[in-house]
Amino acid sequence: MKRSVCLSLATLGLAGALLPAALAAQPANPVTLSIFAAGTLAVPFRQVNALLEKKYPNVTVQAQFGGSVMMAKKITDLHQDADLLAVADYNVIPKYMFGNPAHASWYAGFARNAITFVYTDKSKFANEINPQNWYKVLARPGVEIGRSNPDTDPSGYQTVQMLNLAEKFYNEPGLEQKILANAPLTNMRDTETSLISALQLGQIDYLAIYRSDALQHHLKFIDLPAKIDLSDPAQSAYYQNGVAHTKNGDLAGKPIVYAATVVNGSKNATMAVNYVALLLGQQGQAVMKTNGFGTFSPAFAVHVAAMPAPLKSLVQPWPSS
Amino acid sequence: MHAKFTPGRAAMSPWRFRAAPSRPGALYLLCWFAGSVLIAFLVIPLIALALTQTWSSLAAIARMTDVRDAIMLSIEGAFLSALCAALVGVPLAYALARTAFPGKGVIAALIDLPLAVPHTVAGIALLMVFGRQGTFGQPLQSIGLKFWGTIAGIVVAMLFVSAPYTVNAARIGFEAVDPRLEKVARSLGLGPWRTFFRITLPLARRSIMTGITLTYARSISEFGAVIILAYYPMTAPVKIYELFLRFGLEQSAAAAVLLLIVSLSLFVLLRTLAQRGGQPQESR
Amino acid sequence: MSVGASIEALALSLGAFRLKEIDFAVSSGEIAVILGPNGAGKSVTLEAIAGFHRPESGRVLIGGRDVTAFPPERRRVGFVFQNFGLFPHLNVAQNVAIAQRRDGPVAGAKYAPPSGDPAALLDYFGIAHLAQRSPSDLSPGEKQRVALARALAAAPDLFLFDEPFSALDAETHEQLREELKAYLRALAIPTIFVSHDRSDALTLADKVIVLRGGAVIQSGPAAEVFQKPANSFIARVVGVENVLSGRVMETSKDFLTVTVGDQVVRAVSPASATPSDGSVLLGIRAEDVEIDPVHTAPPRKAGTNRLPGRIAQLRRAGPLVGVTVDCGLRLTAYLLGSQVRKMNLENGSPVVVEIKPEAIHVMSD
Repeated sequence: MKRSVCLSLATLGLAGALLPAALAAQPANPVTLSIFAAGTLAVPFRQVNALLEKKYPNVTVQAQFGGSVMMAKKITDLHQDADLLAVADYNVIPKYMFGNPAHASWYAGFARNAITFVYTDKSKFANEINPQNWYKVLARPGVEIGRSNPDTDPSGYQTVQMLNLAEKFYNEPGLEQKILANAPLTNMRDTETSLISALQLGQIDYLAIYRSDALQHHLKFIDLPAKIDLSDPAQSAYYQNGVAHTKNGDLAGKPIVYAATVVNGSKNATMAVNYVALLLGQQGQAVMKTNGFGTFSPAFAVHVAAMPAPLKSLVQPWPSS
Repeated sequence: MHAKFTPGRAAMSPWRFRAAPSRPGALYLLCWFAGSVLIAFLVIPLIALALTQTWSSLAAIARMTDVRDAIMLSIEGAFLSALCAALVGVPLAYALARTAFPGKGVIAALIDLPLAVPHTVAGIALLMVFGRQGTFGQPLQSIGLKFWGTIAGIVVAMLFVSAPYTVNAARIGFEAVDPRLEKVARSLGLGPWRTFFRITLPLARRSIMTGITLTYARSISEFGAVIILAYYPMTAPVKIYELFLRFGLEQSAAAAVLLLIVSLSLFVLLRTLAQRGGQPQESR
Repeated sequence: MSVGASIEALALSLGAFRLKEIDFAVSSGEIAVILGPNGAGKSVTLEAIAGFHRPESGRVLIGGRDVTAFPPERRRVGFVFQNFGLFPHLNVAQNVAIAQRRDGPVAGAKYAPPSGDPAALLDYFGIAHLAQRSPSDLSPGEKQRVALARALAAAPDLFLFDEPFSALDAETHEQLREELKAYLRALAIPTIFVSHDRSDALTLADKVIVLRGGAVIQSGPAAEVFQKPANSFIARVVGVENVLSGRVMETSKDFLTVTVGDQVVRAVSPASATPSDGSVLLGIRAEDVEIDPVHTAPPRKAGTNRLPGRIAQLRRAGPLVGVTVDCGLRLTAYLLGSQVRKMNLENGSPVVVEIKPEAIHVMSD
């Protein structure tokens, strides 16, 4: 009994001695920035977070990553506090956040991506497949292809849109159906990243995923033509021909642009704006490029007038499609 | 010096506990208090969830075929998982209860291990073994048994995380059966099998049923391991998650409450089945 | 050889415990009681006979058959242990009915149990009215009868009892023992009864086997073991109250002269040789110590040992009075309370102690 009392007192004493030192280390006005972002942004954002924390020592960034729609719904439905939202498909912001009440009033596209297929040495026909014959190889019977759920995840419907475009691009009627036949419901998950382990274990041969993921996970990928892989905003008009039929309606193809916005009513709005500025600026864009994303110079934005002043100079209006 | 408390006061007090003929002691009250706190902690969130629904909203969600299918699939899968746990786990529990062998402590600890493994990790480990190229998965696939995206995979994931409950409860049940009763049965001419089924098992029945019910309950709620092996066909937890992604809180809450109602009814049923029997029939 | 049970050179190891060359037999109509301290191996022996331990060597014969290789269910033994072991989830009728009926007693058996039909057995033991009762609602006497009925339902060739009365109070213990004795005598099925309580042996035993450290240290008819224990340990087990050390002075054909304490006594020569140095142990049962007050003592009979002494202690021992008398050696005796009053005995009263030479049992160790 006596021993435990002594031990507790010793601990308290130690804590008491360290506390002033800890407090002294904290700069004035500590800020915790809460970011909700798409899963594929996990790696680059951690690097941007580090850059921000270095620039503003009083800031700690707490980031959560998951499906873009899930993250948006956490703000709109579950009323969780976030200062900044970054999504894999810029459409998610106007669709879920611009409603009534408006959780956001603008957004800026800060990175681009492409849809591709990744594979390993274990994959069927891995030694044969190339950018010219990929659509024939993937249509062969016995090939297992994984993808994410088009009803809930952007990469899911983007994959379907890409296949739709490919059918027209290569002039191969039935291409989309044949390839999708190798990607049945059983090979589907709500985000593509949860299928990476299935790919590595040989359960599936090919996985429809973003090029950034391919590079981050050091997986082999197929170089698809820019006209179908949704990577070039300049091709927006052409992309519209690729249609995905989902439970949320028929979705026309749009370029894959990652967008970010500051959540309305955020308590750390100033710092969130700083974050976006960093992201759109030279440093942020360099990070995105290193991680396999396409970049913008300058970024495109929607509702520029509603943007905070420091950001207006960093963007240009979104090209109307 | 007169007594501080009048003698008849305990009898008059409304707090007449059968076990405490005099005034209830501090220990008793503390137990009640702690118990109430825990029950409130468990029940209030569920009630709050249930209150978000009306009968019409529940009816609407019950009309959705995919929601009904998901709930049925969960019930089926959990039932098969509990069945497998019973068939394989009960004999293991008996061996652990009756025999002593080197490494018994290790085996007993291993059985609890699945409870400590994060569910996603469990799912991936199972996929490694039961997947297309897995040690068991590959040969089994050649005879037509697939675990990826099938109810077999769902059952495997459910069983992995919930089997320990059956084994532990059954083991306690068997340990409570006096081995001398088994010896008497043998001396009466009952062989080892008959002794097990007519003496040991009936006496351990209630513990075993409790374990199986826990396994069943745990199976129904499993998400993380199941979703690695099977997204389609969707079990109820996966469906609820999908509804949340597609529609939002309201619809997913409705499906969740529907699942809770179905589960609760099943558990009550299982518990009553476990209570019956175990006592000799008074009249035939 | 009568059809009964015979255990021949049975030996086995159970962890650190070893059972060494157990050898005895019991025939039909006989009750053999295995006595011994805790840890002597009594229960292990019984379980080995019933078939729950595999012996390393030796044989078990039951009903004329060599059952050493048989599993318990084929050995035809009826096993009753502490608290009677009734199945709690079955009622009385179901308990009796669950026994697997085998054919009647083996050819040549001298016993004939009542018919094996469960209803008839319940009748025989007078418990038919309890058929629907749960075992937890029965008195110990009723439980015993159900246990017997159930064991009989399986037509055993051997009864085994493992301390069935240990958990009961003294009065119920005695009652049940008397009842059991009556039933066993009527049934005449060979019986082996294990107990650490010698009064069980006194009441029930035709034959006594004393076990110690896994080995049989004496076995024989009950009277012999009780009156002529082979050594002082056994003497204590069978309840010889007085065990004293002495030295042999003279030997003759029929008698020995032994100094013990301050006295010299005459004892009957034992069957076995006494140690060469003459040191022996004498066992004298309290019931053989006759006490009379000095003044009223009857004349001395020839050849008896007569020792003057004084009462050292009087204490109540149930219905009797335990008397410790100092007559050059300290002896314990028992007297009725009425005797003590009639003889006006109290601490210090001068008395004369008389002990017949046949009552002094000489032991080597």
